[in-house]
Amino acid sequence: MAERIWNMKEQINSKKIIQTIFRDYLVLAAIALLVIVTSIVEPKFLTAGNMTNIMRQFGPLIMVALGMTFVIIGGFIDLSVSGILSLVAVVTISLIEPLGQVGALIVGLCLGAFCGYLNSVLILACGAMKQAEALFITYGMSTVYGAFALIYSGGRTKQMSWIKADTSIFKAIGTGTVGFLSVSFIMFLVCLLILYIFQNKTYMGRTIYLTGGNKTAAELAGIPIKRSITLIYTISGLMTALGAIVLFSRVTAASPVLGKGYETNAILAVVVGGTTLIGGNGSVLRTVLGTTLVILLSNCMNLLGVSVYMQYMMRGAILVLAIWLDSRKEL
Amino acid sequence: MENTGQEIILSIKNVSKSFPGVKALDQVSFDVRRGTVHGIVGENGAGKSTLMKILSGVYQKDLGTIIFDGEEIKNTSPIQSMKRGLSIIYQELNLVNTMSVGENIFLGRFGEMGGMRGVHAKAKELLKSIGSNIDTYKMVSELSVSEKQMVEIAKALSFDSKLIIMDEPSSSLTADEMKELVKIIHHLKDQGISIIYISHKLDEIFEFCSIVTIMRDGHVIDTKPISEITRAEMIAKMVGRPIENEYPERPNCVGETLMEVRSINTKKLHNISFKLRKGEILGLVGLVGAGRTEIVRAIFGADKVKGHEILIDGKPVKIRNPRDAKKAGIALVPEDRKLQGLVLPFSVESNISMANLDKITRFGFLDSSAEKDMAEKHVKALGVKTPSIRTKVRSLSGGNQQKCIVGRWMETNPRILILDEPTRGIDVGAKYEIYLLMKKIAESGGSIILISSELPEVLNMSNRVLTVCDGRITGEFDPKVASADQIMEKALEFGRKDLEHERAN
Repeated sequence: MAERIWNMKEQINSKKIIQTIFRDYLVLAAIALLVIVTSIVEPKFLTAGNMTNIMRQFGPLIMVALGMTFVIIGGFIDLSVSGILSLVAVVTISLIEPLGQVGALIVGLCLGAFCGYLNSVLILACGAMKQAEALFITYGMSTVYGAFALIYSGGRTKQMSWIKADTSIFKAIGTGTVGFLSVSFIMFLVCLLILYIFQNKTYMGRTIYLTGGNKTAAELAGIPIKRSITLIYTISGLMTALGAIVLFSRVTAASPVLGKGYETNAILAVVVGGTTLIGGNGSVLRTVLGTTLVILLSNCMNLLGVSVYMQYMMRGAILVLAIWLDSRKEL
Repeated sequence: MENTGQEIILSIKNVSKSFPGVKALDQVSFDVRRGTVHGIVGENGAGKSTLMKILSGVYQKDLGTIIFDGEEIKNTSPIQSMKRGLSIIYQELNLVNTMSVGENIFLGRFGEMGGMRGVHAKAKELLKSIGSNIDTYKMVSELSVSEKQMVEIAKALSFDSKLIIMDEPSSSLTADEMKELVKIIHHLKDQGISIIYISHKLDEIFEFCSIVTIMRDGHVIDTKPISEITRAEMIAKMVGRPIENEYPERPNCVGETLMEVRSINTKKLHNISFKLRKGEILGLVGLVGAGRTEIVRAIFGADKVKGHEILIDGKPVKIRNPRDAKKAGIALVPEDRKLQGLVLPFSVESNISMANLDKITRFGFLDSSAEKDMAEKHVKALGVKTPSIRTKVRSLSGGNQQKCIVGRWMETNPRILILDEPTRGIDVGAKYEIYLLMKKIAESGGSIILISSELPEVLNMSNRVLTVCDGRITGEFDPKVASADQIMEKALEFGRKDLEHERAN
């Protein structure tokens, strides 16, 4: 009997290792393949200019995707990030003149966190404990936030160059570098470190995993699942606000439809990274890999002159493929 | 029919099946004869379910041959085996709750039956053949568990089944419903249909099985006519060692009142009030659906209930959610281990620590070595059989899974432990260990509320029994004095009145 258990342990471990390799290194292999093929076909790919470009594109999406990771691990989903991103961008940019840079930044981040918090309040009020219900509620809220952005801005795009006050912080976020790293990339590294520790080492991080793993069991064990739900949406809102700031700083303008498409790209990045949609499983590190793949893919396709429509198709196909691969893993 | 009891309908020869890391079945062989009830017993993890899943086509065997009705079965699928005449009725019944009885029986075959009218007519006929007169237009969600089982049986018969496998059919049936099932089983047998009957309840095996196969650790230990084996021998073969008693001696250390529950009223419960004393094991007896689980859920704050009072040590406590209950020293081991108790894809360690995270949290950070110690302490103390505390709880057997939940709550040092069906689907050896644990808790001054559909368990373990019927407490008994019949009568009181009322109308 003892021997049998011992054997079981060995084999489970080796099986797990194979699974992990398959899951993590498949993304890495895809990234490597993409880099190799593109750099052979299109020499422009490996230039310093393009690398900086990739790093800058990486900034906004990774912020949103990191927040989305928590929502998906908690067993929910957040489609409102595109609305929040647009709203935060137009509000923040408009406040630089009256409040100064720091004031605008703080208000922008608070607004994002508040929008996320509001999502969770509505989800709890509706008793929406299923991912599908949360999907529709946050879709509805995305429209609301998006409409607010349009109303607030009057439908106009605001350029940073029109602002008379000091915009040095935003310029730094948008184009500044420290050594060979862009400022936005350093912001990402700091966020990643904080979120990684939060996710793996703290009480609240654990409650999010448990909520996603089995809400009923977690609640019956005295885990504050409502607090976890509030937390995941607030984190998602806050990270989206950060994404909004990085994005409008880079493009030096805030349009009221700036966030369009970010919800699908963020979900794509999370799922491609290997965080399962069922909840209870995944990590922010996976999301970094997933985001890298998504960004590289669009960069490569742009360089190779693939049409935008074709790119949309590829993105959708990859999302479906990722979910399919994911469902195979559990067997 | 003249060959009844002679002709072999199913022959299993040297069947083996491995899963990564476990040999689930090792050279399993036995025969099932036509028109017999063939019992299969064994502890959890003995390989019964795996074998049944191979027979029904959910899994494929690695080695060996299976001959069913003269034909070798290879690479079959569940629907193919049903069409061949081999049906399986799972413990968790597989019916569509939002469809009618008739529709469920002929699901996916409405066309063959000549439309809905044909479906309902044929369904009615089938139900009648097993002595049931359930309205075929009724929604399955409105049926009782035993009625649902009849629908499953009718469904099996609709495929002209020659062999029906019943996987723990009695686990949620009460005594009366069980009698109905026994009647149906005899009826099926008379028609020449063979039945493979899997159960943990040995009484049932002795009552109506003619042959029994005992499995342990993926092997067939023995196949014997029931008349040639005793209960003690059977248990010894199942667990691989002799067990003297099925129940430990009842703890006897009842003190003063610890908790008082005053007037819980909900849609389903009516004026529930009772007292629980220190060191007492209080049994709640009643039909499935009588309101036993609702009572403890209300106490535990799992359901929203207003207007009731709970006093612990004479002081009122407010319990609005399970967290409050935990703080008040109440623990609940819920009835559905997999859905309500465990986070299946998580490790043994995090399943044990999940009710005690505050204990291992310093300034918001988890102390992983304290978590490891906590898990190891309970794995050791309760004898959880697991390769490591990092193993996913999903891969443990039912008894070991249950121990993880018990360990989780033992760490909270509860004064009141509520156990809802703690031994459902657990094998004899693990059951005994759970009983011992209950005894130990009671003797160290804790109180236990025990809900169980197995009357002998309640009668042997409790100091006091309350009967619950139709959301009311209908009687209080001392199980040392009262007989099982007396208690069951009270537990069925209201149901019977309703029936009489209906008949009068």
